[in-house]
Amino acid sequence: MEVHSGDYRARARRIIEETPEVREAVTAATRTFVEHRLEAFADLDEDALSHWAERVKSHALTHLADYLEEAEARLVERGAHVHWAESASDVHRILERIVRDNGVKKVVKAKSMLSEEVGLNPFLESCGVEVLETDLGEYIIQLFGEPPSHIVGPSIHRSLDDIRAIFHERLGTPRDASPERLAAAARELLRNAFLTAEMGISGGNFLVAETGSIALIENEGNIRLSTSVPRIHVALVGIEKVLPKWDDLSIFLQVTAKSATGQPVGCFVSIIQGPGGSAAGEPDGPEELHVVLVDNGRSRLLADPEVWEALRCVRCGACLNICPVYRQTGGHAYGYVYSGPIGAILAPGLVGLEETLPLPFASTHCGACKDVCPVRIPIPDLLHVWRKRAVERGLTSGVERSVLGLWASVVTRPALFGLAEKVAGLIPDQVVRHLPMLREWSAGRELPRATGRTFRELWDEGIE
Amino acid sequence: MSRDARERILSRVRDANRDREPVSHPGPLPEAAEPPGPFTQAADAEVDGQTGVADPVDAFENRLRAAGGEVVRLADKAAVRAWLKEFASEFESVSVCKGVPQGLQPELAAAAPSEASLGVSLAVGAAAQTGSLLLSSREGRQAQLLPPVHLVWVRAQDVHTTLGEALQACREDLPATLALHSGPSKSADIGQILVTGVHGPGRIIAAILGADA
Amino acid sequence: MRVSLFVTCLGDRFFANAAADAVRLLRSLDVEVDFPKDQTCCGQPAWNAGDVPEALRMATHTAEVFADADYVVLPSGSCTAMLRCTYPRLLEAPAVAERSYELAEFIVDVLEVTELGRGLEGRRLAYHHGCHALRELGLETQPVRLLESAGAGVVPWEMDQECCGFGGLFSVKNPEVSVAMADRKLDTLPDVETVVSADGGCLLQLDGRARHRGLPIRFKSLASVLWEARRGGA
Ligand code: SF4
Repeated sequence: MEVHSGDYRARARRIIEETPEVREAVTAATRTFVEHRLEAFADLDEDALSHWAERVKSHALTHLADYLEEAEARLVERGAHVHWAESASDVHRILERIVRDNGVKKVVKAKSMLSEEVGLNPFLESCGVEVLETDLGEYIIQLFGEPPSHIVGPSIHRSLDDIRAIFHERLGTPRDASPERLAAAARELLRNAFLTAEMGISGGNFLVAETGSIALIENEGNIRLSTSVPRIHVALVGIEKVLPKWDDLSIFLQVTAKSATGQPVGCFVSIIQGPGGSAAGEPDGPEELHVVLVDNGRSRLLADPEVWEALRCVRCGACLNICPVYRQTGGHAYGYVYSGPIGAILAPGLVGLEETLPLPFASTHCGACKDVCPVRIPIPDLLHVWRKRAVERGLTSGVERSVLGLWASVVTRPALFGLAEKVAGLIPDQVVRHLPMLREWSAGRELPRATGRTFRELWDEGIE
Repeated sequence: MSRDARERILSRVRDANRDREPVSHPGPLPEAAEPPGPFTQAADAEVDGQTGVADPVDAFENRLRAAGGEVVRLADKAAVRAWLKEFASEFESVSVCKGVPQGLQPELAAAAPSEASLGVSLAVGAAAQTGSLLLSSREGRQAQLLPPVHLVWVRAQDVHTTLGEALQACREDLPATLALHSGPSKSADIGQILVTGVHGPGRIIAAILGADA
Repeated sequence: MRVSLFVTCLGDRFFANAAADAVRLLRSLDVEVDFPKDQTCCGQPAWNAGDVPEALRMATHTAEVFADADYVVLPSGSCTAMLRCTYPRLLEAPAVAERSYELAEFIVDVLEVTELGRGLEGRRLAYHHGCHALRELGLETQPVRLLESAGAGVVPWEMDQECCGFGGLFSVKNPEVSVAMADRKLDTLPDVETVVSADGGCLLQLDGRARHRGLPIRFKSLASVLWEARRGGA
């Protein structure tokens, strides 16, 4: 996918000013997620769970190479093809090969953020393959031609009215169709696609090394269908998705679902060990299973001693839901497939700090995300690491540096500090409003009221 | 080429961890921290006040109902026959998974999974903690997925308390795909309004077979 | 008991009267207050911006200034959080970290005073929790307890723990989002006369936005309101 993170401010402004309904829809949806999450954890020892989950993921990451080899061996034993992709273009090449070898014309896709990350849909389309997203939310944004705006709820920025309009235009449903009617129209169209597609593509929430299992959580049944009905199933799995043991899976399934939507577990979970059908002596299921293990920057992030913990992420979206910055715009402002707090950490790590620079600063450092992460990723600290590096590499704006530098040189010299404050108090508001930074402040806010005197002066005069 | 990618990725991963203190696996989650099923908490209004329910079958029923599933409990063969006859009368045709015994198959015209109005399967287990039915791909998956209504038989003795126990019981002989079905297919992707029966079955009925059934 | 007041840079410039009220309040509780004149800024703006060397310089300076203080009391939650939670990551000997308290925290947790007076009888207030005070210091019940015990009604506010959108540099780097966040707070505010907070940055942000929109809400420092609680009832 193309990365547009450099325009964060402009994109955020456009969303807030031109499509205020997006802010409303995203705020409402994320608040619902947050409420459900709170209910789900109300009776749980959240601390014990998150500490445990953190340890398991950190263990998996610090032994990652061994576990990847173990998972690969188990999958191969069961007849799966395992591919390794270093980059997005590797993924493209691997898929192109599978598509060519099998004469694939139509692909059904189950929601996969990784496939967005590597820009798979446009690539497959360029190979002449018809690609249908089957998750209802993904299907909706595919109709709109948009990237997902949330890890879990890709279409949360779209209102019922928006969806009615596009379904009317594209599927011929009535303008005032009920949500049930709209879902039924999508179901009918996609049902046909499930039955006629030669290939299904999924992601993978977890890869269990011990059994070579790919686990997928969902609510609609489209993942089960995509991984069961077409003749070929391709699973794109990030190399960081490893869980060591079969016995680790049950808690991770639950913790992820609870953090994401507050459910005990998704309505459907697929735990896939190998191809089905005659290959496995089973009545149906895909004859071929291809597992693509994707690096695409992850090993570099793993090597980063200060940010590697971000790889524990299970993509539950809880940090997006709680984030007051994310809530104002939804994910599109971030210009990257992963948005919100975790996106602001992953983007510089996977794409590069220079390309995604504003993102680590697109946070008030309020810390709300840290408290909800089920694998205890210290998100604010990791954001800070990227800020620190931006400064070290001289990537922050000149104005910002000089204002801060001035501030710094003044405030550490008490005499100068007192003097500077006095001077600052003398500059008329009309002038101040045009100074860099203060201009930004006063566009939507009044400047602080002048208090007349500083505390220093009051103290010197004597406080009664 | 793909071989090279594998070696390069693995060696980068090994290098990345070279100077890092390895973190040990914490072992199993302490039992006290297990997420409770509805056996220690009320899952919704329907089971309100039912705290301290100890029986995993009761707990399973509460949990699946809370997620929008239906549950019947059948004590013996006569009860199964009577209920199945009545239940089957709502449907025109059926697609039955491979392992379902004769006595648990409704007397309906057989149809392809994509045509049938009812799918019937036999679960390999269930978990009270999450209200999940465990389904094996060895039975055939399409009848579990394509018909709009899914009837799942499950033996009371196969209902485990935690999901971990239920998965553990399958560990030694895993099918190509082990699936958990824990409620009807649903989505809130259209304006955050809940819709059921999106792609998978919009109704799921767990029929729990007692010891004599 | 002796405390050293760290007025903080925002406090000095924009909340001088509130800081003076903090002094009055502490004195009325038999606490001797001194004001080390060499104090400047805690370094949080630099830290926040990612400028670690600058933050380190300021932290070092602050630690020196307050090296001999028994207690450092700040009328600011987020600066207290900087001293207590961030200094240990910057400084080798962050002794000042453990001796630093936000004002209400100091009164309730150290002085063990939970009733200041009845000076807020009949007042309808809302309390805004600053993010760092809440999540880093765990300052949640103390201010509300002091306000309520003085007779104020602290009206429930569903968004009282959500960030106001200030975030230091964030407020000028991303002004549109920052303002939208302030609006979310203001739009959910219950019917109260005054919003109280222990954080100056949040007050500047919310007050600046409310005045821009012409909303008739008053914003006050916790220190001033607590002094009203004391004085009115004494
Ligand atoms: S960072 Fe944590 S909270 Fe955010 S999506 Fe990942 S796992 Fe969930």
